[in-house]
Amino acid sequence: MTNQGNNKDIRIGFYICHCGTNIASTVDVQKVVEFASKLPKVVVSRDYKYMCSDPGQELIQKDIKELGLNRIVVAACSPFLHEKTFRNASSQAGLNQFYFQMVNTREQNSWVHLDPYASTEKAIDLVRAAIYRVVYHKPLEQKRVPIHPDVLVVGGGIAGIHAALTLANAGKKVYLVEREPSIGGHMAMFDKTFPTLDCAACILTPKMTAVKNHPNITLWTYSEVIGVDGYVGNFKVKVRRKPRYINEDLCIGCLDCIEACVYKEGRFYDEFNLGLSKRKPVYIPFPQAVPLLVVIDPETCIQFKSGKCKQTCVEVCEPNAIDFTQKERIEEIEVGTIIIATGFQTFDPKKIPYYGYGTYPNVYTALEVERLINASGPTQGQIVLRDGTRPKSIAIIHCVGSRDKNTNQWCSRVCCLYSIKLAHLLKERTEAEIYNFYIDIRTPGKMMDEFFIRMKEEGIKFIRGRVADIYPDTSNGCCGKLVVKAEDTLVGEIIKVPVDMVVLSIGLEPRADAQEIRRMFNITCSTEGFYIERHPKLAPVNTFTDGIFLAGCCQGPKDIPDTVAQAGAAAAEALTLIDTGYIEIEPNTAFVLEDDCSGCKSCIPLCPYTAISFLEDKKKAFINEVLCKGCGTCVAACPSGSIVQNLFEDEEIFSEIVGVLNYTYHEEEV
Amino acid sequence: MIADLEEIKGVTLETIYETSEGKLILTCIQCGTCVGTCPHGEYMKYPPRRIIEMLLHGLADKVSDTDSMLKCVNCYACMAKCPRGIHLTEVLLQLIKEQTILKLPTLPAELQKALENSYRYGNPMGESGRKRANWVATSKYPVRILSQNPGPVDVLWFVESYPAYYPRGQDTCRAIAKIFNRLEIDFAILGNEERSAGECGLLAWETGLAEALIDYNISILGKYTFNKIVTSDPHALDAFNYRYRMYGFKKPVYHIIPFLMPYYDKLKSMLTRPLNYSVTYHDSCCLGRHNGFFDEPRALLNAIPGIKLVEMFHHRINSICCGGGGGGMWLDTYFKSQNMERLSDIRIREAIATGADILAVGCPYEIPRFEDALKVAGYENKMVVKDIVELLSESMED
Ligand SMILES: Cc1cc2nc3c(=O)[nH]c(=O)nc-3n(C[C@H](O)[C@H](O)[C@H](O)COP(=O)(O)OP(=O)(O)OC[C@H]3O[C@@H](n4cnc5c(N)ncnc54)[C@H](O)[C@@H]3O)c2cc1C
Ligand code: SF4
Ligand code: SF4
Repeated sequence: MTNQGNNKDIRIGFYICHCGTNIASTVDVQKVVEFASKLPKVVVSRDYKYMCSDPGQELIQKDIKELGLNRIVVAACSPFLHEKTFRNASSQAGLNQFYFQMVNTREQNSWVHLDPYASTEKAIDLVRAAIYRVVYHKPLEQKRVPIHPDVLVVGGGIAGIHAALTLANAGKKVYLVEREPSIGGHMAMFDKTFPTLDCAACILTPKMTAVKNHPNITLWTYSEVIGVDGYVGNFKVKVRRKPRYINEDLCIGCLDCIEACVYKEGRFYDEFNLGLSKRKPVYIPFPQAVPLLVVIDPETCIQFKSGKCKQTCVEVCEPNAIDFTQKERIEEIEVGTIIIATGFQTFDPKKIPYYGYGTYPNVYTALEVERLINASGPTQGQIVLRDGTRPKSIAIIHCVGSRDKNTNQWCSRVCCLYSIKLAHLLKERTEAEIYNFYIDIRTPGKMMDEFFIRMKEEGIKFIRGRVADIYPDTSNGCCGKLVVKAEDTLVGEIIKVPVDMVVLSIGLEPRADAQEIRRMFNITCSTEGFYIERHPKLAPVNTFTDGIFLAGCCQGPKDIPDTVAQAGAAAAEALTLIDTGYIEIEPNTAFVLEDDCSGCKSCIPLCPYTAISFLEDKKKAFINEVLCKGCGTCVAACPSGSIVQNLFEDEEIFSEIVGVLNYTYHEEEV
Repeated sequence: MIADLEEIKGVTLETIYETSEGKLILTCIQCGTCVGTCPHGEYMKYPPRRIIEMLLHGLADKVSDTDSMLKCVNCYACMAKCPRGIHLTEVLLQLIKEQTILKLPTLPAELQKALENSYRYGNPMGESGRKRANWVATSKYPVRILSQNPGPVDVLWFVESYPAYYPRGQDTCRAIAKIFNRLEIDFAILGNEERSAGECGLLAWETGLAEALIDYNISILGKYTFNKIVTSDPHALDAFNYRYRMYGFKKPVYHIIPFLMPYYDKLKSMLTRPLNYSVTYHDSCCLGRHNGFFDEPRALLNAIPGIKLVEMFHHRINSICCGGGGGGMWLDTYFKSQNMERLSDIRIREAIATGADILAVGCPYEIPRFEDALKVAGYENKMVVKDIVELLSESMED
């Protein structure tokens, strides 16, 4: 065992990383090395091209062994990225890992500053601070917290379905919570999917049924998460289960009640068909719905509105499953990990008034057209306009509510491809002339561009120009057509194309409640509202909150293949945690110096994690290490100064401050 | 969508990338929305999208060798729809226009005359400055003229040339005088001392004329004590709010329609005579697309009992220009010589298609333009063009 030393015997090794040119092109690393070598207790001061590489780590380990180092300071990238690497390297060489301290010289220095002189000075100040501080570091042990093996998946679109099945197949117990009466998400609305044009129902329905039948999956549809407490490994979750007014255990899915409803025809907005058809107050969202359970909508049901319905549905229900007195239920569950898969919503094209959506009946959104094309949709797959006629010419407008500063700035990634898909399906069923108006055709991904070229061969017209105006054709007493006006930018002509039908390829955007969900799960989202992954390349399904993962379009627009890949990755990340069985937590917890504590209880209500209790026998405060998150609130609040926080003890902080402030300004060198 | 005035003051094509407004040009995705929406796009050799690409390739000279930008009517349509938020109408196109005008061997005669007249007489028609306030004598309601009665006043009503001289414009003046009096607003006009404020577009590319008018009006306005300016001309509104500000003018300036909104309840209680018309409203480019006043004119029209408001296909942000902006008021002959269809003729067909009795407007250019278009369409006996203030005054029983 190397000498870990007391204060008199401190032997510090300092290392600065070039990070290729990332750091070295801005910060004068030689100057920092030279400076650090002169600081008290520094035994060795070195620089190296890549400290995180094997030889870099070995350099530290060799010095620990040969020079008897007992404190290590590395100036490199952010601790977020490599603190763990260097801690491990130190502990492998026999040093307690908390004798290590890191200085962020990249993210907070070389990447954000332009002036080499000033960045070097900044690096020097921060290095001095770290070297002064590390002297006071103490050896600490990491604690382990067990991980609850159950998983919560929020959202039952293709992302949530795939993640839930993967985990359940690996033997984990999964709660799948879906807000709507059926799982399936957007994919359940489509008829075919690009680029292979395979039938959406054929590939999705078996997975939906598998979810329902899986012994390891508890499926709660028509339900929402309303509260989340705890931390990685130990989340406590509250779920609100809305009443369907049907006893789920009794309903056999015969649908006789729908047939028997006093409304002979559907009269109300059908959510799943986006209002293109009408439903009754008692309904199922779509024929393949999972679970195949009826829902009664209290907003439209006569019994709920007036209490005076003949209740023909009740009469006909043999198993007596209809229960008008059902109340919402709150379930409380404990899980160790959570996967958020809440998906997206589509852009509301009324925000671009000059496209006429909501004004001209023959202007449709792409999602509506997906329903029209769908064999179990409102027209059984017939492409007919609202007046029952079949369109002979159709314009598909790309980028509606995407790439536009006035609406949403991002590219929605799937619209080009689904527009091309819709063009093909519409052409196949109507023989209509199809015009795709686009800004750029974006077809990255396997088989995607091939798909585009095939569709060009089918004779679908592609016009490069963003549509500027849509208005009714009034020429020569014409005919209910709409004129689509754009510049054909490749030809340099303004064209006016009269068509029977306009399809708006609306973009994908975050769900309206993304901010509330973000707050509830304590994760982050970008200004536009897509949840942020921990690292865009290397941790694409992790969030900044341990134990919570992302899958699918809630993280950003993507197609089904990418959604499924991400859902698999999120499941794998959850599995890693579960199968490890525990997590190690930073020992930066606070503890009470019992002798000094006056028992004033000021700290107790301040702790956001309710980690502090009062020991009645001793009349002292007590901090539960497992619950303490190391926020430091109590430390600052204690009037007698009797709470101490590991890694943030007074002498560590004060010497660090002295280190930062102890600078001299070399004016002559500027 | 409005450019930062301090930033764009004194900007040239060479220095345009030094402003954040100018840098936006670099983000153009060549989508062609600007061209597709431009009412004169079909007639421009270099419509806005191509201008940007030419500029980026250092070929802007070629653009100003053509008359493309002479055909821009400053309607803000391209700017309102550009997905990159590029300040086309406000910044870039004005600079190209300035170069275009400089290079033209001769300006179209009608425009030349209007510019000269504005310079010499303070109004584009070439009327005598001494007759500017003559209409006041025909007003049933008193109108205070500052040169005769120079005490402090709350609202300085900037009448502008078309309302002051043109007979149908004078109708709107009498209507405003009535409304102001009935609402007990403390107001006054400059009278014969007033000269055309100029319009935003013209002033942008006619620096000499701009400075003459701006210097003159700022010095006259400086003589009097008032709180705000109100005008019925959206072009004057823009001139004050965008050009005059660059020369240090600070007072708030309102167009009459939004100005009346805080008086809505009081005004509505006075609108007692029902006008049983069906009305369609034409959004003026400056008032609507440029300044965002879409709801206010409709709210005032709806306050009049008996009026039924119907919309044209193109309305609000998607309205079609009457063709009068950006000098278009004085380019009809030139446009005709280029075989271009008049925009007011196109627009009036949409108005007629609504079957409305009245075409309501909020800009003094529009009355003569649309009245003429109605004659061309042979529809002058079936539809009447009226300013919103005229309709308000009509509904106010004396
Ligand atoms: C018109 C159109 C056509 C498309 N065509 C194709 C195609 O052909 N091929 C292709 O690969 N991709 C296509 N896509 C993309 C595809 O829709 C997505 O990749 C896919 O649906 C993403 O799945 P998801 O599970 O992430 O989201 P979603 O499908 O949106 O599912 C999310 C689920 O979460 C539920 N939910 C939301 N919030 C909560 C909450 N707070 N609590 C509980 N549940 C909640 C929702 O009800 C929903 O069921 C298309 C997209 C559109 C708009
Ligand atoms: S609308 Fe805007 S982005 Fe599109 S071509 Fe015109 S200037 Fe460029
Ligand atoms: S302002 Fe109007 S006329 Fe001028 S280029 Fe733009 S759209 Fe065309």
